[in-house]
Formats: sequence, structure tokens, C-alpha cells
Amino acid sequence: MVSLTIDGKSVSVPEETTILEAARQLDIHIPTLCWLQKVTPTGACRICAVEIEGVDRPMTACDTPVKEGIKVTTQSEKLIRTRKQIMELILVNHPLDCPVCDAGGECSLQNICYDLDVTQQSFKSENVNPDTIDEWPLIQQVPSRCILCEKCVKVCHEIIGADALFINDKGDRAFIDKKVENCVYCGNCVSVCPTGTMISKPFKFKARPWALRKVPSVCTYCPSQCQIDINVQGNEIFRVTSDDEGTTNNGNLCIGGFFGYSYVNNKARLSEPQVNQELVSWEQAFETFVADVERIKSESGAEAIAGLSSPRLTNEENYLFQKLFRAAIGSNNIDSEARFGALQTLRALDKGLGLRGASNLLSTIGKADAVLVFGADPSAEAPAVEWQIHEATRRKDGKLVIANMRQLKLTKFADSQLTYKPGSEIALADGLGRLLLDRGLLDEKYLSKAVANLSELKKQLAAVDLKKVLAATGLSREALEHAADIIGQANNVAIIFGADISKCSLGTAKSAAIANLAILSGALRDQGGLFPLDEKGNMHGLLDMGVYPESLPGFQAYEENKEKFSRAWGCQLPAGGLDAEGILQGIEDGKIRLLYLAATNPQSFPNSNRWMKALEKVEVLVVQDIFPTAVTKLAKIVLPGVTFAEKSGSVTSLDQRVRALEQAIRPVGKAREDWEIFAELYGRLAKKSVTFSRSSILSELSDLTSLYGDVCFTGEDRLRPCLKQPYRPADKSFQYQLVSVNEEAEGLQLLSGKSLSHFGTTSTWAPAPLEIEPEGLIQINSADAEAVGVKDGDALKLTSGTGSTIGKAMVTDTVPQGLIFAPYNFVELGIQQLMPDGSNRTSVQLARA
Amino acid sequence: MSQVAFSSWGRQVIDNRQGGDVEVEVAKKKLPITFGGEKNIAAFMGWDGLILHDPNVDVVAMAAEYAKRVQEDYCCAKCSPGKKGTRVMQDTLARIVGGQGNEGDLDTLLNLADLLQNCKCTLCQTSAVPVADTVKHFRDDYLAYIRGEKRDKKAVEYKVKMTAHCQDKCPAHVDIPAYVEAIKELRFDESLEIIRESMPLPSVCGRVCPHPCETACRRANVDKPINIMVLKRTASDYEWQHNLQPPMQPKPKKDKTIAIVGAGPAGLAAAYYLALEGYPCTIYESLPEGFGGGMIAVGIPAYRMPRHILQRDIDIISSMGVEIIYDTHIGKDITLMELKKKFDAVLLAPGAHKSKPMGVEGEEEGYNGFLAGGIEFLREAYMGKPTGMGKKVCVVGGGNTAIDCVRVALREGAKDSILLYRRTRKEMPADSWEVDGADEEGVQFEFLVLPKKIIVDDKRQVTGVECIRMELGEPDDSGRRRPQPVEGSEFIVECDTLIPAIGQDPDLSFITEETGIEITRWNTVVTKYVPLKSEAGRDLNDDMGNPLSRILLTDMDGVFASGDAEIGPLTVVACVGNAHRAAKVIQRWLEEGKAYLTDDDFHEDILSHLGVYDKNEDVPWLDAVTRVEQNEIHGKARASKGNYNEVELGFKDSDAVIEAERCLRCYRVSMIAV
Repeated sequence: MVSLTIDGKSVSVPEETTILEAARQLDIHIPTLCWLQKVTPTGACRICAVEIEGVDRPMTACDTPVKEGIKVTTQSEKLIRTRKQIMELILVNHPLDCPVCDAGGECSLQNICYDLDVTQQSFKSENVNPDTIDEWPLIQQVPSRCILCEKCVKVCHEIIGADALFINDKGDRAFIDKKVENCVYCGNCVSVCPTGTMISKPFKFKARPWALRKVPSVCTYCPSQCQIDINVQGNEIFRVTSDDEGTTNNGNLCIGGFFGYSYVNNKARLSEPQVNQELVSWEQAFETFVADVERIKSESGAEAIAGLSSPRLTNEENYLFQKLFRAAIGSNNIDSEARFGALQTLRALDKGLGLRGASNLLSTIGKADAVLVFGADPSAEAPAVEWQIHEATRRKDGKLVIANMRQLKLTKFADSQLTYKPGSEIALADGLGRLLLDRGLLDEKYLSKAVANLSELKKQLAAVDLKKVLAATGLSREALEHAADIIGQANNVAIIFGADISKCSLGTAKSAAIANLAILSGALRDQGGLFPLDEKGNMHGLLDMGVYPESLPGFQAYEENKEKFSRAWGCQLPAGGLDAEGILQGIEDGKIRLLYLAATNPQSFPNSNRWMKALEKVEVLVVQDIFPTAVTKLAKIVLPGVTFAEKSGSVTSLDQRVRALEQAIRPVGKAREDWEIFAELYGRLAKKSVTFSRSSILSELSDLTSLYGDVCFTGEDRLRPCLKQPYRPADKSFQYQLVSVNEEAEGLQLLSGKSLSHFGTTSTWAPAPLEIEPEGLIQINSADAEAVGVKDGDALKLTSGTGSTIGKAMVTDTVPQGLIFAPYNFVELGIQQLMPDGSNRTSVQLARA
Repeated sequence: MSQVAFSSWGRQVIDNRQGGDVEVEVAKKKLPITFGGEKNIAAFMGWDGLILHDPNVDVVAMAAEYAKRVQEDYCCAKCSPGKKGTRVMQDTLARIVGGQGNEGDLDTLLNLADLLQNCKCTLCQTSAVPVADTVKHFRDDYLAYIRGEKRDKKAVEYKVKMTAHCQDKCPAHVDIPAYVEAIKELRFDESLEIIRESMPLPSVCGRVCPHPCETACRRANVDKPINIMVLKRTASDYEWQHNLQPPMQPKPKKDKTIAIVGAGPAGLAAAYYLALEGYPCTIYESLPEGFGGGMIAVGIPAYRMPRHILQRDIDIISSMGVEIIYDTHIGKDITLMELKKKFDAVLLAPGAHKSKPMGVEGEEEGYNGFLAGGIEFLREAYMGKPTGMGKKVCVVGGGNTAIDCVRVALREGAKDSILLYRRTRKEMPADSWEVDGADEEGVQFEFLVLPKKIIVDDKRQVTGVECIRMELGEPDDSGRRRPQPVEGSEFIVECDTLIPAIGQDPDLSFITEETGIEITRWNTVVTKYVPLKSEAGRDLNDDMGNPLSRILLTDMDGVFASGDAEIGPLTVVACVGNAHRAAKVIQRWLEEGKAYLTDDDFHEDILSHLGVYDKNEDVPWLDAVTRVEQNEIHGKARASKGNYNEVELGFKDSDAVIEAERCLRCYRVSMIAV
């Protein structure tokens, strides 16, 4: 600790504390303009200059660390005069367009001028401000308003890792310029801009900041679930903001959070119920639904009815959905797209580690000494995870290992990039485990304490044939050893894995291999973490609520706990239950006659053609959605649901925090909150008048499950997200799993995955992300492109065993030769038609189109 | 009579305008009379004031131009007072010169000079120093402008250059403040790009540079200098540790070709810069493939300079279109005249690889255990050849090579490794940290001893060396106290191996008479230069006694020389700086048919002779964070037999950032009116 006095008051602070931070502890206010807590200090504005006894020049408080015994003065006649004069300099040629400036009312420059009583101008100079930059997409730059504080530059570089913004030119002509090709359009430059320099084009001139109502909410585009404020005027969203303080995302957002909200305002939204493609009243829609359910039940039994729910829905909605099916309809044929990914991972992690979801908070990634990103692209799947990786590996000294079939945005920051051959994930995980053993990097003491089947673990590891691993993965021994050393030598290891693992056809086995590696690397200790990513917003809430046939809410096995729920719900729960594949088969076999699609679109399921054909056969197709799609066209009953902004409820993040959504605007047209629809149907089918409220659902949940701690429901304040019961594995509870399957990918492989700017198919209804990424491009290596004779931008035809499509080629060496990558988000590109059932990768043939 | 009319340099005002005759020390000794040998220097304006040689120079116009250049060309705009304040300063001066000024503007200028004390760095801040000096001491000239009086002043041309103390002191003139700042901003890749603009062997000079820059670091006036070298290593290591491809893109290939003799630091550096310009270069190296790097490879042991990292720097240069032909001796496999015929230009950079004789009795006898020299020993050890070393090794010398020898001897399995040096530890020319490293590894030191005679047994095997004790007398030319023998103090140091390591000479036997290339008596290649004299009439020379502004062209047209063979045995960084200039001169010669130095070259030389750093300058700053040192492997085991693992481990990135934040970014702008 270091002791010093500031304005005569004594304080003791840790070393490396700045004078500014020390002053704040004493409640001494030192004015700042360029200082931003979440980035390294810049010291650009010089407003925070203070005097230190014995130092014959002013020192800036924001970037000067304390020293034992110093005497600091923050206010003196000279300092006050200097600060004022520096402000006058800053204001030389600053335009007087405050009335129409977007920052008007929330401008730090205005505020500080007011605070420092800057009322005159003693300087003048030629106005050499560069012209406004209009040609960047989504963001406008007005250099004349810029005070060159570099907040935008630093956030872009240090937090986002995009490195797009930089200072161009010299002297007073200097301005913030952008390497446009590097920009990821996260909007954080706009958020941190203290003046009206960086402007969101969609927001410009639309509203005055003080006229906006800020509704605390959660971005549900991905499971990072950043905490946001929906800025509303009337019944319209004007922008989304996020505070640095008090949010788990430190105020940072991605393109989805910052710009992606605009689908909510899209005029194409479904706003009235339909029956047989005709607009009807809710009453008619409900009656039709109830009549159809009862008719089919009486004719074919409840097992002829099935439903698929969605990670787009809240916890409460998913709870109601499964209760509607199990208790009111009497069918356990419920599932979701989790079947093609998250459930495979869940099965493996639960079995090996007793873990359902991530083992620790996202912030532990930021403190890791080594981060292994395996088969995941955090920049696309969960950007907040990427920000934590930057924190760990760039702001701190953590090392980054990336194991992926492709090169990622993160690759340039990696200490080790293991570009493995498609399908060799198990071999790679095994190989890394074996090298941890061979190189003496296993913590034997920990393993014997934590692992139940230690002898089996050793046997399995000893059986790993490294030669085969090298052949299967296509990697060099040195590369693997280097990666193993990084992981093995770290105290705190974070392992992140994603869609390439969970969504592939051997997702369970591959997840088990990762679970094994997590055991061996010590990632499951308190300071480490294992983080399965699933890019869908409330995937964890969906799983928590038991919307799959094997499980009731709270991961309670269906058969074993059926009676408990029957008693609680006053009904008899049905036996059996089909999963998504069973439902699909059932439709094709004519056994499923009514299918309820709640906020889910099978066009993005693997083998989507098969799904679409099946949907045509469904006698009563019920679709509850927000946009008209090819699926709603097939539906008998269309129920217009709402977006996250129009409903309240709770959602659960990938790191097991439960956060509340607050209704920011009224539903569009006659659309209803999804949970209201479920509740209404439940009441009508169960023939009892029921009232559901959020608190009644949550208290029912807490009676029936042990998902949440008590703390969860004490506050409604979104600034205090509650935690699910934290993961605390018992001694000797880990099972090292035998993973014996393997696959060999033959021929050219097509991998489908998430786009960098789009989220599910929803964001393809939002103009801003569409401006950045208007269509799905087929990423192909230059050698493969040359072999088939296509150039960048040419049409390319892809054909697999299940379908074919034509799209535009994007020639890039971020995909290796032999691998093609395409985003699944674009229904037009329709890449999911080519995927076999339950898979994200297929052999494919190429042709020029 | 003094040739200076006015000087405020060094904050000391000397005003001879009214007929005084006070001499200005700096002008007399440090500055040349001419800029580039022809045009007289009329005035010098910079961070520390104004020196006015010619009273007819329009000081007000010069100040206006100075302020303009600072603001428009050099101000980084990264702080408000600097960005805006120098603009106001520029425009205020322009207004005065344009006849639109008023007296209040003079107060504004002085006020601005005061406000600029608040800048983030000291570029803009010190640019206000000479401006304020002119306002204070040339007020009448200002008032004349303000009153609209026309004055007949001399037309002058301005030469402007930005430098920094460290950058000036660095023989390669690496833009140190910029690369340090990039590290501060977590931009390790950009940092390396900046380094490469003047240092193509960053991994080498991030490790083994004697870093003269750090002796000119202004932070030392606060507490300790910035760890400039290790920050360079940090930037360089970041690239290969993150598997990043170097970003350099050579220009399209040109048709004129260049042969370079020697793949050492000078040859590689020249090839790098010529290749960037698109010139195909062919380097002829006498050692076999895998041993490129010249003295870096064979003179610096791998525990200081890991080979795979050196090789990466060489491979990068090769990948830019430079061909290296190994195992080829000039003068034996191909003559210099043949090279001259085959290529459009030739650069001689053979280095200095021949040990100097020691002058002891028995030296010429070819005794077993008396080795040819330190540099030969290091080379053979590195190449895995038999070195002839026994178990008890004596190395004679006090330089870095001698230290490398004693430390390599341990790693080659010597039981005893003893250094014999005729002065004391304090006078050793070796870098102090190298001596400390040897000490830590168990090297024994015998100071104040002079070997006189080699002692052998009947099999002509060395068994010891007879030495005489020395004592220090009066200081010699180098300022070190001259050692003198103590009569009758002869004694014998037992050893089975004796290695002389008292210095190296270039081997220039390949430069035959027919070339007409003259060679100095120190066995270096003579190159053409621009003669510069100080006011006191002395020739301006560099630290090695060579003429200050050398063109690096030999007596044979189209043949240039660089590196140790041109400068005299020095350092990697000196060779790189010298070779960079050679590359630029060669390009001019190839493209314009004449070899010459530019204004920028002259300005660089003038500043380095002047010396930007002033160790007595009072630098007010809070010394809250002390210098961060790199991690290092400690203990004798690091020098165990066969252990050539790197001893110094560099910085963690976060430490590098903390260290970089200590930098005061001391850019300075110099303007010369000619």
C-alpha cells in the first residue's frame, strides 16, 4: 500500500493506483474528459492535471500512478486557470451546432465547460477541420466536433480487437479515420464518444436524448445476454445503449446489440392471427386451435400432437410451453433446435462432469492464464466471450490457443493456432491430453481428488497414439506440444467450445472429449472454467425448463420425476415422448397430425428440405412467430408473437445468470406476448381459469426444482442479475469418458456456422446488419476456387447428398483448402438444405453456376 | 570575433548584436559552419533556443515557419494543448508576419508557451521555447512587423528535422519514441513496423544491442532510462510468437542488381532496404548455409541470440527477394572485379573476423592450446567444430568478445574459465551486464594483469601463461587510466588453453590493388565524405574518428563499403545504421548516377554531432514507476555444458506496457536556416 495526501487528506491505496483513482476514494473530484475506465489511460485532454509538491510541472492524475508520501493539490488558482484555458483551446473552431448535434444533452464537452465555467474564448485560429465523413456504413464521423480523446480508438483496439480506428494526419488537421475493412460495426465508438463526433446513422436526427425513456433490458441475440437500455419514445425503439457501470458487459455491445434491434420496428411484422391464411380474431384462432387439438386427441390420441419451442422465448414461456403440452394437451412430444447442438453437449458434460452449461462466470475467462478456444468462433457465437478473451490475453498476459478448422478474427492474437482437419476434434483433444501427461503437466494430486475413475483415465491416456493424432489432425508435433505447454503450464485455464463441436454429428462424443480435456487441464477448478457456447439467446433457459422429452424442468429425468409433477400439476403426465428427429419421422409417417412451432423456424435446421417437405404434410401446422416466412405460409394457424422488447420475463445466460426483460414497448398490432398465448391455450385446454404471472411461474419453479438460489428473486432490478446455483463438483465426481468413435471426413467439406453480423434468421429482418452483410457468402480457399474456376463474387453451386444451392463465392484463405464455410443465417442461401440430419458439415461438390 | 550574433541555446543568452564578442561554445565546437559543405548555416532554431549566426536572418519569419512546421508536420495531435495550442501559435505568428498582428498577439504567444507546459509530451512544449525566445529578445522585429514596416532581410532556406534524444543517439536512428508509444497502446505489430523502418534485425537489436540510446534517455534525469532494448525485443518477439507474417511489401522488381559481400548485419540491412525498393540483391557469404548473420551468428553466442530467431530475421530478408550465396569467398571463388562486372553496384560489408595479435612471447609458435583468437573460438564452437579447448581456459581481453569467450568456454565444458584483463572491471569496454552475467556463471577474473609469455611443456602443450601485475596510472586519450606494469611482479596463471580476445580486424585481402580502393592504416575501407568544419576550425568526426558525413562510396565507382570494415569494428546497430545509409546512397547512385547525401542525412549528422541529450537538464516528472527489468534465468546451471538456452527472457507484455508508459516521448524539432 502507498500513502499519499490529496488536498491535505491522507489516503492509502494499492501500488499502481493512479492519482485519479486515489482521489475518487477520497471523494475528491478531479475533472476528466478523455478518461475512460475500461481502457488504458490516454492523457489526451490534460484537464485532470494536478500539482505535486516537489515536481516542477503539472502531472495528469489519470495516468500518473501514486508514489509514497507525495502531496497532491487538485485545485489551485493556476490549475483552474490552466484547465479553463485548455478548454478554450479545445473549443477553438468547435462548431456551434449543439442544437442539432446528436450529443446535445449528453455531451461531456458541454458538461465540462459548464462545470469549469468556461464562458469566453481568448484564442482563435484558422478552421482546418476536415469534412464530415459520410461514406462509412452505419456510422457518421464529424471531425469538427472531435476532441481527439481517443476513447473510440482505444475501445476499438483494446476491447473489441478490431483495430479499425486510428488518428490520421498531423496537428489540428488530425482526425479519427477508419480502416473500414477492419470495422465490425459494434457501435462502441459511438457509445463512448463524449461529443457528437461518432454518430449512429440510424439514430441521427431521430430523437433528443432527454426525450427518450430508457428501459432496462437484456439483449437476447446471443447467450452473452448483455445488459442494455432500450431507448424508447412513444411506442418505438430509437436506439439501444448500455452503461459501463453496473452491467456485466461493461457497456460494450456488438452489432446485434447496438444496431440489430431494428427488426422490432420492421413493418413486415406479423400483427394479427390467421387461420387458413386469413386474418382472424384471437378468439377464432384460439377456438380453432382448441378444436383441432381436441379433435386429433380424440381421433389419434395426444401422441399425434407435437411441439417445438425456441431459445428465443423466455424462461417463463418455455416453462409454460412444456406445461401446456405435458399437462394440458397430454403429449410429451416436445423438443427444440437444442436437439441439434446444445443437448448433445449437455448430455456429455452432465455425464462426465455433472455440469449443465458453463462451469463459471464469463469474467473468469478475462482472468485466465490460458484460454483454449476449441471449435468455436466467439466473435460470431458470443461476442462478450471474445471481449473477455481480449482482456485475458491482451490486457493481461494470458495465452491463447485456438483449435479450429478455420482462421478466425481472433487468430492474429493467438499464441497457437491449431488448424485441424475437419472431423479430427476427438483426436486433437485426446492428443492434447496425452501430451499433458507426457510433458509432466498433469496435476496428479488434483486429478486423484477430483476424478472417480482415475485408473481408467490413465489407461485411456496411455492408449492415445500420437502418431495417429498427428495424421488425423494434420498438425505437427511441435504445434501440439506448444499448445499443450501453454495449457499445461497455466494456473487458470478457460476452455471455450462451440458450434463446430456441439452441432456436428458426433456432438456428444466430441463434447465428451472436451470434457475430458477440461478435467486434465484443470479448467474445472475454481479459477478456471469450461464454457460451451451456443449462439442462441436463451438456450440455457430452454434447457433449464425441460423442453425436451427426456427431462422435466430443472434437469429432472422425465420418467423418474413424472409423478412429482403430476401431483403438483393435478394431472397425469403422459408416457414416452418423441424428440425432434422422432417428431420429423412421425410427421413423415403420418403419425404426427398437429405440430406447434413456437418461435422457431425449421428452415435453419439441418436438412431443412426434409423438414419443409414434412411441414407440408402436417394436417394442422400451428406457427407462432414474428415474421411471415415460408413456414407461416404452410400454417393453418398463425399466432403473432412478440420480440424481446415487447415482453417481460427472464432469460438465462451462457454463464448461468438469470436476468429480467422488461417490456419496453407495446406489442405491434394485435400481436400478443408469447407467454400470454401459452397461458390462454393452457386455460382453454385444461378447462380451468388460470392466471399466470411471472412471479407465480417463478415460485412454481422454485417449488419444483432446485435451479435457483433464493437470491434469484429478491430483486427485480436488472442491474443485479441473479445466479443459478453455482457449479460445485463434489470430490471424485468426474467421470473420464471413454470416447471411441471417430470419423473421417472425405472429400471437400462444407461447414455451416454463424455469420459475424447476423443472429439466427431474425437479424436478416433488421436493416443495419443487412447493410453490413446483405447476403450469405460462400467462403472458399483460393486454391479450391481456382480449381473450380470461380473468382471472388462469382456464383458457385454446392451440391450435397441432401440438396443443392447457389451462392456467391468469397475467396479467402481463412478457410483452408478442402473446406468451405457458409453462414446458415440466410434462408435465401439455404445452406442448411445441404446438411445431413443433425449435422453441421457435409461432403459437397462444387461447380460454377 | 565570434560568428554568432545571438544565442539563447542551453537557456544562456548571449547577445552580440550590438557588437559584443562573446563566444558560443556550441556553435564553436559542435555545429559545422556549413550545411552539407556548401551553404553556410545562418541560424539554428530548436528545442533549446536559437543560435543566430547571421544577423540579417528574419527571426520573426523563421519563428513563424518553425511553428508552422511543428504544427503541420510533426504535432501528433494526441493532446489538446499540443494539437490546438501550436495551431494558435502558428496562426498568430502567421498573422504577425502577414501584417495583421497586434501587440496583444505577443502576449498570446508567451501565454501559449506557458500553456504548452501541460502537453502530454515535450515536442510541442519545447517548440515554444525558441518562439518565446524570439518574442522576448527580438521584440523590436515583431513590433516592426506589427507596425507594418518593411525590413530588408536575407532570404534563407529552411531545413527541418524531428529527432529525439534516444533516436539521435541510436546509430541506426530508430524512431524509438514512436515504437515505445505503440507498445504503450498495445500495438505490438505497429511497433515492429516502426522499428523496421530503420532496423531490419529487430530480434537481434532487441537482445544484444549495447543500446547507446539508453545513455541518452531523458527519463534517466528523473530516475532510470527506459528499457528501450527489451521493448524492441517485445515487439519483435510478438510477431513470431503469434505466428504473424511480416507485413513488408517490396516494390516491383527493378532491373539493376547489387552484389553484397557478407551476410552480416551491414550486408543484411543494406539488402533489406534495397530489396524493399525493388532491387534484386545477391549476398555472398563465406560461411556455409545455416551460418548467415556474420558476427551476430559467429560472434554472439546462442544463449544471447537464439539461432532460430536470428534465422527468422534472415529468412524474412531472403523472402523479400534477396539471394544469399553461401560458402563463397570473395577473392577466392569470385573476385571483386568479377562482381563489379556482373552487378550494377557492389557493397563491401565483410565485417571484422580476424583476431588481433596479442603481442606475447610464443604467440607465433603454434603451441597446442594457444588458440587463434576469441572470434575464431566462438565461430568454431558455434559451428560445432573442434575448438582445441581444454579444461582450464584463459581468455585475454576486456571486451564483449572476451566475455563471450569465457562464458562459451563454460558451455563447452571448461572446468575453469578465467578472464585476464590489464585494467580493472570498471574500465572494461564490455557491457557491464555481460560481465555480471559471466560472474554469475562462475567465470574467474584476474584484473590488472598483462600476459607476457606462454608457458609450455615438452610436448609444446600450453601449461600456463606468465603475467605481470599492472597498476593504473594517468588517464589516456580514451579517458581511462593507463595501466602500467609493476616491476618484478611476474607470476604464472596455470591453464591448458589460452585465447587472445583483444580485438578484431577486417580481412581485406580480397581488395586487390587493381581496384584502386584505398585502405586505412586501421585496415578499414576508405570512403568518400563531405568535409565539415566547426567554427573553431576543427574537422567534424564521429565517435570512431571517421569523418562525420560519409557517402560510403569507395575509390572505385559503383563499389560501396559498409559495416565494421568501413567504420572499424563496432556494433550491430552501428553497422545497421551505416548500411541503411549505404543502401540509400546506392539507390541514388543507381537512379541518378551520383552518390550523395541528402539534406536529411546532413541534418541527422549535424544533430548527432551536436548531441540532443543533456545529462544536466532538469526534467520535472514524478518518479512513481521505476524501470522494469526483463526476466532472466539465474544460477550456474544456465552455463552448464551444452546449455545454450537463452539466458534473458524478455518482458511479459504487461510489463512492457508499464515500462513503455514511463517514456516521456522527447521529440524535438530542429530547424536550420541556410
